[in-house]
Amino acid sequence: MTATVAAPTGAPARVRPSSDSLAGLGTMVRLVVRRNRVRFSVWFLVLVVMYQYIVSYYKTVFPTQQSLDEFANVANTPGIKALTGLSPAANTMGGAVWTKGWMTIVVTLALVVVFLTTRNGRADEEVGRTELLRSRMLGVHAYSAASWLVNAVLCLAVGVFIALVSIGGNLDPAGTGITGSLILGASITGIGLVGLGVGAVAGQVATTSRGANSLASSVIVVFYVLRMAGDLGNGVLTWFSPIGWGQHMQPYAGNHWWPFALLVVFAALLLGVAYWLEGTRDFGAGLVAEKAGKAGSPARFASPLGLALRLQRNPIIGWTIAVVLGGMMFGSVVQAMTNLLKDAGPGANDLLRGEGVDALLALLLSVMALITVIFALQTTVSLRSDEASGIIEPQLAGAVSRWTWSLQRLVIPAVWSAVLLVVGGYLVGAVYGASIHDASQGGRLAIAALAYWPAVMVFVGLAVLLWGYVPRLAIPITWGVMAAMWFLTMFGEVFRLPQWFLNALPLSATPYLPLESMSWTPLVVMALIAGALTWIGIDRFARRDVQPA
Amino acid sequence: MTTNQMAIEVEGLQKSFGQVHALRGLDLHVPVGQVTGFLGPNGSGKTTTIRILLGLLRADGGRASLLGGDPWSDAVRLHKDIAYVPGDVSLWPNLTGGEAIDILVRLSGPLDPKRKQAMLERFELDPTKKARTYSKGNRQKVALVAALASNAQLLLLDEPTSGLDPLMEAAFTESIREVKAQGRSVLLSSHIFAEVEKLADEVAIIREGVTVETGTMAQLRHLTRTQVTVVLDGGVDGIAALPGVHDLATTDGHITFAVDEAELPGVLAAVAARNPRSIVANPPSLEELFLRHYGDELAALGAGSEK
Repeated sequence: MTATVAAPTGAPARVRPSSDSLAGLGTMVRLVVRRNRVRFSVWFLVLVVMYQYIVSYYKTVFPTQQSLDEFANVANTPGIKALTGLSPAANTMGGAVWTKGWMTIVVTLALVVVFLTTRNGRADEEVGRTELLRSRMLGVHAYSAASWLVNAVLCLAVGVFIALVSIGGNLDPAGTGITGSLILGASITGIGLVGLGVGAVAGQVATTSRGANSLASSVIVVFYVLRMAGDLGNGVLTWFSPIGWGQHMQPYAGNHWWPFALLVVFAALLLGVAYWLEGTRDFGAGLVAEKAGKAGSPARFASPLGLALRLQRNPIIGWTIAVVLGGMMFGSVVQAMTNLLKDAGPGANDLLRGEGVDALLALLLSVMALITVIFALQTTVSLRSDEASGIIEPQLAGAVSRWTWSLQRLVIPAVWSAVLLVVGGYLVGAVYGASIHDASQGGRLAIAALAYWPAVMVFVGLAVLLWGYVPRLAIPITWGVMAAMWFLTMFGEVFRLPQWFLNALPLSATPYLPLESMSWTPLVVMALIAGALTWIGIDRFARRDVQPA
Repeated sequence: MTTNQMAIEVEGLQKSFGQVHALRGLDLHVPVGQVTGFLGPNGSGKTTTIRILLGLLRADGGRASLLGGDPWSDAVRLHKDIAYVPGDVSLWPNLTGGEAIDILVRLSGPLDPKRKQAMLERFELDPTKKARTYSKGNRQKVALVAALASNAQLLLLDEPTSGLDPLMEAAFTESIREVKAQGRSVLLSSHIFAEVEKLADEVAIIREGVTVETGTMAQLRHLTRTQVTVVLDGGVDGIAALPGVHDLATTDGHITFAVDEAELPGVLAAVAARNPRSIVANPPSLEELFLRHYGDELAALGAGSEK
């Protein structure tokens, strides 16, 4: 125990030889593929097939140049510009398809890549699987690099195949070769890569997978909102968003390659930062150190509701901020958009299902309702998350019945959804009202927004029902239903679904206030359905085994 | 060279997390071919030390050498010869136990299917089940099989038997004895004193990030007292006053006291002179050693009662 030869003295070494840092990459690539093969295949197919479907549908709907010209005219509205962006070549087949599908594809791809990156990165580190791996001959970056590599291949594959689909569908205007389709594919791949970079950095900054996912998806949403504000305004803000860069590649119109370079460089920069952070930090650590918390908890945490309020404080606060900011932003653009609408011609009014400012307000309120549904479902599926992780067991081991536990937990989605709707509606109205000096708008729109509450509760009831009967599948199916509903609202006509079916979707069944007049029957029916679904779901949960993941 | 005889050599190791000083000058030595027990209360820095040795955390100060290399900068090369078993094993829920074992073993070298099979049988683990269906004990077995199926020269075991039933603990003991017989080294962090006593050649006891005691079991026992219980016909008078006798108490004619190792001959002579009818003398167990270094409170109580 005296002399040592190899070990350095003084402060421990700070650097690792870079030759080691990727050792084991091949094994890790196989692990990532093996673990996610279903997810990768499903998302690849969903995105590519969706684009293919829009292409073939639009070919039948717009058989002539005249019909495409009409489409371009109809689509030239603030609503379209805000939600999906508008192709400068909307009067070509490629531009029309782009307008319909591109934004959905890129935002979905970016989010999918974020979640997959976290799943193989921070999530595994958080629970200790990476520790087990790193105790073997595994370089510090090998697991992350493998995950980034495989996700990058997914981005590339989606881009390439959507380009192929577009080439196969003859989307390029005559005389331009296949440039537009290639540009299109590149823009999709580029934004996917930026999503990968964002997810990779978030995985280094946050210490939990939940934190990493929230951080990264918030950044993607900010990118989306920035370009939305930019597209509605003078366009400057669009340049602060990588999604905006992708839009500016303008497939089938300007056909610019250079924003693709911007996307790739930005993605590489983000990955470089993530790589550097990973090399310097301790295992399990993030950028923010854990702070010491309180030594005790107040008595209210002993009830399921009290505890849930504490545990779900962040989503509650986060979504409230989102609704407040969204409401104010929507309210502030109503006046400008109405003016634009007047110039847009009769076609615009078809899209808004009516004329004038009330139609626009009704559209904005339905968007607020959609945001509220996401909040309500996120807080509802936490019942299943608690069961899956096993932390429900000590709670139920206390003097709490399953009914009490479930109902108290559901108070949060039930009550706070109503609050979000009222706040969102009020702010849209109040800010818009301030611009036209009409103080009554706030109250009017707050009540109009509240009419969506029974519809939101139907989604909650459905989530509870799924939790009761198919606990292991409840969370994916719940979000699947949410995604499908959103998808049908956007693309329902593409799939030629009967109008009565689309009208029966909870959000559509709600009276389209303030454009339509108030009608109580659908609201009462939906409230009853929501109550029945919730009751059946909890009843089942009270009788079945608790099933951890 | 002496380095060749030390599998792990740690001196003055320091590590802080923000305001928390997890390690404040820890020393630890694991000689090649030996099993070293690593004991300490919860939060005393055992896992932090092991994570530094694995190159997962970077020490703030002090020196750590592992198989002659630096655990941080040579991590990947060193891990070829290291196997690690954490106390709380997490696996990929949708992969089977067998798949997880293969991934872990292959990262450090070729897989020996016979050896894997032998370990699976010894630990009675079904490798075809998905990891999500495993109990804690079965997840633990996955990590143990992966570690024992490899050719590692040094095993870092962090409470490796937590969640295992007594039969499996016996299988574990057997495996570690085989490892030792092959000249490989083991660092065994554990709370199960009987296990450490059975397996360890040397023991290091740490507390609040500092090593408070190291040595072989025999060396450590010298530092403490033998517990004696006697029944005396000749009466108890004067025993308590003998040098080296502590904590004397009498219940139902049974006299119990503790004796400093150094004073044992004199005390036994005095006992013999008082016509003992029965005598039981126990060497101090590891648990007693451990408790002595654990509890300020216990130590304070003991000191108080002597006066």
